Amino acid sequence: MIRKVLLGTCMSLVALAGPVSADSSTKVALVPGGPHPYFTAWEQAGMDAAKDFGLASADYKVPQKWELGAQNQLLESLVTQGYNAFLVFPGDPVGTVGIVDELVGTGAVAMALAGCLRDPSEAVFCMGTDTGNSAYLGTQQLLKSLGGGEGRKIAHFTGFLVDANTKLRIDAVEQAATEAGAEVIQVIADIDAPEPAEEKINAYLAAHADEVDGIITTAWVPAVVAANALRKIGDKRIQMVGIDHDEVLLQAVKDGFVHGTMLQNPYGQGYIGSFAANKLREGCTVKADAPFKSNALTDKFIDSGTVFAGIDDVDDYVTSMQSITKTLFESFESTYLDC
Amino acid sequence: MNNVSSTQPPTSDAMRLEDESPPRTGSSRLGPQLTRLLLSNEFGLLALIILFSVIFALATPGFTSSFSLFAMGRTAAVNIIIGFSMMVVIVSGGLNLSVGSIGVCVAMAGGWLMQVAGVPWYLGVVGALVLGAMIGALNGIMIVKTGLHSFIITLATMSIFFGVMIFLTQAGSFRELPPEYVQFGRMKINGVVSPLLIVTLLIGVVLSVFFRLTTSGRRLLAAGANPDAAELSGIRVDRTIILCHALSGVLAGIAGLMLVSRTGAAIPSMAGQLGQDWLLPAFLGPVLGGTLLTGGRASVLGTLLGAFLVTLLTTGLLLLQVGAFWVQTCLGLLLLAAVLIDLSRRTYLARHNLI
Amino acid sequence: MKRQLNRYLQSDWFGPLLITIAAIALVSWFNPSFLSPFNIQILLLAIAVNAIIAYSQMVIIAIGQMNLSVGAIGGLVAISFSGFMEVWSIPWPVAAFMALSVGLTAGYINGLFVAMTGISAFIITLATLSIYKGLNLGITEATPFYKIPETVKALGNSNFIEPLPWLVLPTIIVTFCLWYLLNRLPVGRFILAVGGNEHAAELSGISVRKTIITAHAISGFLAGLAGIMLVARLQIGQPTIGDDWLILSFAAPVIGGAVLTGGHISVAGTLLGVVIVAIITQVLVLFNVDPFLVQVVLGLLILWAVGLNKLREVRAARSMDELGAGA
Repeated sequence: MIRKVLLGTCMSLVALAGPVSADSSTKVALVPGGPHPYFTAWEQAGMDAAKDFGLASADYKVPQKWELGAQNQLLESLVTQGYNAFLVFPGDPVGTVGIVDELVGTGAVAMALAGCLRDPSEAVFCMGTDTGNSAYLGTQQLLKSLGGGEGRKIAHFTGFLVDANTKLRIDAVEQAATEAGAEVIQVIADIDAPEPAEEKINAYLAAHADEVDGIITTAWVPAVVAANALRKIGDKRIQMVGIDHDEVLLQAVKDGFVHGTMLQNPYGQGYIGSFAANKLREGCTVKADAPFKSNALTDKFIDSGTVFAGIDDVDDYVTSMQSITKTLFESFESTYLDC
Repeated sequence: MNNVSSTQPPTSDAMRLEDESPPRTGSSRLGPQLTRLLLSNEFGLLALIILFSVIFALATPGFTSSFSLFAMGRTAAVNIIIGFSMMVVIVSGGLNLSVGSIGVCVAMAGGWLMQVAGVPWYLGVVGALVLGAMIGALNGIMIVKTGLHSFIITLATMSIFFGVMIFLTQAGSFRELPPEYVQFGRMKINGVVSPLLIVTLLIGVVLSVFFRLTTSGRRLLAAGANPDAAELSGIRVDRTIILCHALSGVLAGIAGLMLVSRTGAAIPSMAGQLGQDWLLPAFLGPVLGGTLLTGGRASVLGTLLGAFLVTLLTTGLLLLQVGAFWVQTCLGLLLLAAVLIDLSRRTYLARHNLI
Repeated sequence: MKRQLNRYLQSDWFGPLLITIAAIALVSWFNPSFLSPFNIQILLLAIAVNAIIAYSQMVIIAIGQMNLSVGAIGGLVAISFSGFMEVWSIPWPVAAFMALSVGLTAGYINGLFVAMTGISAFIITLATLSIYKGLNLGITEATPFYKIPETVKALGNSNFIEPLPWLVLPTIIVTFCLWYLLNRLPVGRFILAVGGNEHAAELSGISVRKTIITAHAISGFLAGLAGIMLVARLQIGQPTIGDDWLILSFAAPVIGGAVLTGGHISVAGTLLGVVIVAIITQVLVLFNVDPFLVQVVLGLLILWAVGLNKLREVRAARSMDELGAGA
């Protein structure tokens, strides 16, 4: 279903892009940090982009494990296979800088996709979600649903601490809460695997359910598990804001157990990223005065769209993402590139 | 010490204490030297490496390109050191689950010394490695003092070391390192060889000499093979256990520092959560290389070849472009095939009365 | 009387039991909500699944080997179970049965390779770990199966008697069966004999091969059972199920007094080891430990639990010696 809708969009996008250019020699590799459902849309996005813009290929290449070493080894082998444009989700904001610099050193185009590298790096820019800002906005939405933050107590469930983004998220949630006069009474981290997430989140709710007013989750698995836990105890008093588009979470939003979720735009990232990579390969350059945004990691940031989806807009989040993708795509070349 | 060396005839291909040379009942058509060579793990691994290299070179165009060879050598360099770091503990009959954790701690300490304390890179490396030795020795001391199995001690310390590191760094990283240090990890000698690989080979030689020629090394092997007998013959088994854990800490640290030079930054996530990402390479090298999990036997060359074989298989599979999600299955199947081929080689030799 | 007491002191489960009781007393004194029915239910749910995971490793420790593929088998069975139901719309009991056969087969294959080739189980299961996990990723492409029948979800998340969750039932049955198997049946004796001394076992007429295969098959079955229970509990067929099992699967049996070289394990000790780990995990949450310090505290607590048990063993052995000298 989603796929059909997405296909529909690209058709309309192609119409915008004008005539398909001649076959290019650009071989794009879309490389996530590891196997994860978030990135699944990249596969379709790459295929669509390859077709629409006449790329040699735009392939979704997944490291076999969520390990920095595995991702590096995959990237190296892709160089050997002749790929010359890399859209990389950094396995580590700093740790991936080295390999990206080496990729650029081989003459390839490289950009950070979905998450950013910490400046300075050789990546042309970073297109994705500002992880810190998304957590900040999510917390604001949560506090709004609680009728203001004054005196509210919230809990924050998040992913692995070794991921530098996790610290950004913890700080952003803390900041949003402090600004509104609320208090983050507990942070539970390192729960990216379902088993410990289930154990710790439930243990937390068992002991502290009546002390907490809201929950913010800033990683995929904790969001799913917390949504299920709230459904299980049937408590609609505790408000929660999740992240991403897992079916369980979306259903919980529809059923009113979760206030809403912070959505990201993986399809748009893959599609526009492939487009930009091809343009850059064909001799376009990034405008010196391109209106990049800044975030905690980089000054060359393009927001691929973060939207909050509550009960009213969760059904057509695909549509809202499409419109964001469309807006970004329409003006992308003129805004960011010199061709 | 004399006691040990008298029961121990000098062996050729591997350093072991219990002479497990194959029974020579059948009429041997080959000389004992050659037989031993053909039967050794090292020979088997070498044969497999050649076999798979040929297959990959024929099946994929890019496999023999200089970049591919360079990248493979560099990845293998680190994996081999990680394997060594586990090997020296396995020799003593123990395990060290905290290799990854120690490696990251040392790397972060190195990064701190170079960036924040501003010491020259070589002093930073030395300082960080001293820390590695101390952390490793701490493992050893705890094992000796409590009498608990090294498995459970290092399981706990893996968590503790990593936790202290994360707490102190707050998951931050160090990336303003001396350029000559970072350059080291990217340099290509003759366009193909990474200096890291040369460091690894040098360390391999040093370890070989250590186990073969030094008293401490031979004591370590003796203590691993049979602690009680070693104790009776006057070896301080406690000390050797602390020594091998300290050595393991240093080696893990070297691997960590090599990764820092390759990545260009000291980052807490380089060995994954709790350093668990290193466990697989740590065990694969020594075990494929014929280091007995029960202790007393170490094969430096075998560990080196074993770790190299795994890197080779992974690279080859990535180049063959088996669907992204199937690489792991194929790697497992190839590993299984590799050990089975090795086994059938021995059976073949035995059946044809070549031994 | 003194002898009786000493026998208890000597048994593997006595130390962990003392630690468990002390920990429960201490924690509930600081935080009374620890013993609330809801929290007990949460604790039991965690223990129920983790115990099966630990048993699955324990059986292999008993024969003096290691099974690195427990998590991979668990994950494969979990996604098979949910996949059978979602893709082929198979009713859940049949799907569960088929998925358990997958687990049993995976374990059997491990055992077959180990027994037939004589290659260390460590290497074989390292290779099959990759194979099983790879199959899992190849099938799911890392995307979970969502369509889990309501009955299954209910089984994973409701109680049959307050506050006992349904998931405790299989664990109780398995615990009893394993105890019976290891202490009363010839197979169990064979398993322990092979673990104690493989050569001696062979000489006394035990088929070492059959025993090894049996142990691995049991291990695969149990890992699969844990996978299925997790699908019910998480209400979703997550491909990442099992990634986190390895450390726990070893820690619990070892805390419970298992000897890693084989031949000596304790079902009750392992169960208590799981309980101790579960309590530690909860304590870290209940007392709001700084997330950046959680790992340090976890490590220290494990050392403390194991160290205490060791201390007890040493004491018991000493008093046993004295007793022997007196008699």
